[in-house]
Amino acid sequence: MNASAWHMLLEGAWTTVWISGISIAMGVTAGLILALIRLARIPVVDQLLVLYISLARATPLVTLALFIFLSAPTFGINLDRNVAGILALTLNTTAFNAEIWRSAFRNFSRDQREAAMAAGMTPWVTFRRIMLPQMMITSLPGLINEMSFLIKGSPAIAVIGIVDLTRVTNRISAVTYDPLPPILVACALYMAAIGCLVWLQRIAERRANRLAV
Amino acid sequence: MFEKSTSESVRSEQTTPERTAPARTAVSIRHLSKSFDGVEVLRDVDLEVREGDVVTILGSSGSGKSTLLRCINWLERPDSGSIHIGGQRIGVNDAGRPMPVRELARVRARTGMVFQSFNLWPHLNVLHNVTEAPIHVLGKSKAEAETHARELLEKVGMSAKADAYPSTLSGGQKQRVAIARALAMQPEVMLFDEPTSALDPELVGEVLAVIRDLSAEGYTMIVVTHEMAFSRAVSDKVVFLDKGLIIEQADPETFFTNPSTERVRKFLEREES
Repeated sequence: MNASAWHMLLEGAWTTVWISGISIAMGVTAGLILALIRLARIPVVDQLLVLYISLARATPLVTLALFIFLSAPTFGINLDRNVAGILALTLNTTAFNAEIWRSAFRNFSRDQREAAMAAGMTPWVTFRRIMLPQMMITSLPGLINEMSFLIKGSPAIAVIGIVDLTRVTNRISAVTYDPLPPILVACALYMAAIGCLVWLQRIAERRANRLAV
Repeated sequence: MFEKSTSESVRSEQTTPERTAPARTAVSIRHLSKSFDGVEVLRDVDLEVREGDVVTILGSSGSGKSTLLRCINWLERPDSGSIHIGGQRIGVNDAGRPMPVRELARVRARTGMVFQSFNLWPHLNVLHNVTEAPIHVLGKSKAEAETHARELLEKVGMSAKADAYPSTLSGGQKQRVAIARALAMQPEVMLFDEPTSALDPELVGEVLAVIRDLSAEGYTMIVVTHEMAFSRAVSDKVVFLDKGLIIEQADPETFFTNPSTERVRKFLEREES
């Protein structure tokens, strides 16, 4: 591979990283918000969220990305392909994250909540100071698992023309007629990204040991 | 403190200048009833706790004593009746409606609770367990809260463990931290829900010693317990609950030597054997 091939590869890697990163950040936050809304059990809203979660979990990423990108113009929206890609990844991962957060809420110690109430904390302070810091640590294995699924699923956004780390290997081999080197490098880069996540998870697990009362 | 004289419970207001006046009411419970799934756990309970008094609540398990204690800071909602803490009604506002959460939290903060299973927050070290509520509920500065917390940890003999996490402590140590945590809110009344029931026998003493010290310092305390000798030693009043009814209320001497009901006599006999 020559310098320009390396350049293209790194550009593809960067595209995968920033699109995945934004989707992960939005998906983790949106999942938490959805879980909070679902806890409130608001009629109709709750049913709509359940419908969204089951639809999003059942739709393949490629299909979702195509659907968003191709249906936007019918609603009179001119969607940038990157925005459509982020939207597809986020809609998909949010549904899974919402379930992860919800189970963290459901399993949170009633004893600890009562101690917070007895100390005069409002529900919001209890959530922010007592529940969230612990839920972040206990949910992290599930969340990180979902993050690595997202990164590994991200080549789906190539279907709407985004040149990500996988797509770019195709382009390079179209010129060099030697597909193996770029694909091997792409594999290594994916593994590095997932490796970072696994490393984060280990740190979280070490901290979680302290929470074992 | 602001005091609303909305009810009969405020017997002697703080307007009486001399300290010779009878002690004010710290907690007043009237006609309290509560059932779970049709089973009456508390039946028309009346209880008056004066400032500085230590009241122990005895009774066999299932008699409703923990429920009674948990109603005082509204962790359980009674079906009827009223509870006033320092003259302010908890759980129900002046208009007779359920209190908004913020107001309820403010009234709750006038009580401190110590639980049977400690309920420390495991993600915070000992010091921060104690400073958490003073900082985030009372709005104290970090420095001020920590100074006060270290004094309290000293008082319960836990200052050496200020940086330790709860999971590294013994049950007795956890409970002493939990006591410091409750004291940090400078509550008007301390509620103890079987504070030694989850402890190994050899750790019971250290926790009871701390509670005894607090009673000597004049804290108002309501203690649900099974420890008879302790109850007899620290109480100003002993209350006996049976099937949700207060069937005996007396000073400890009368209660333990000359109870007026057959039920209490039987209970004490069984405890002695």
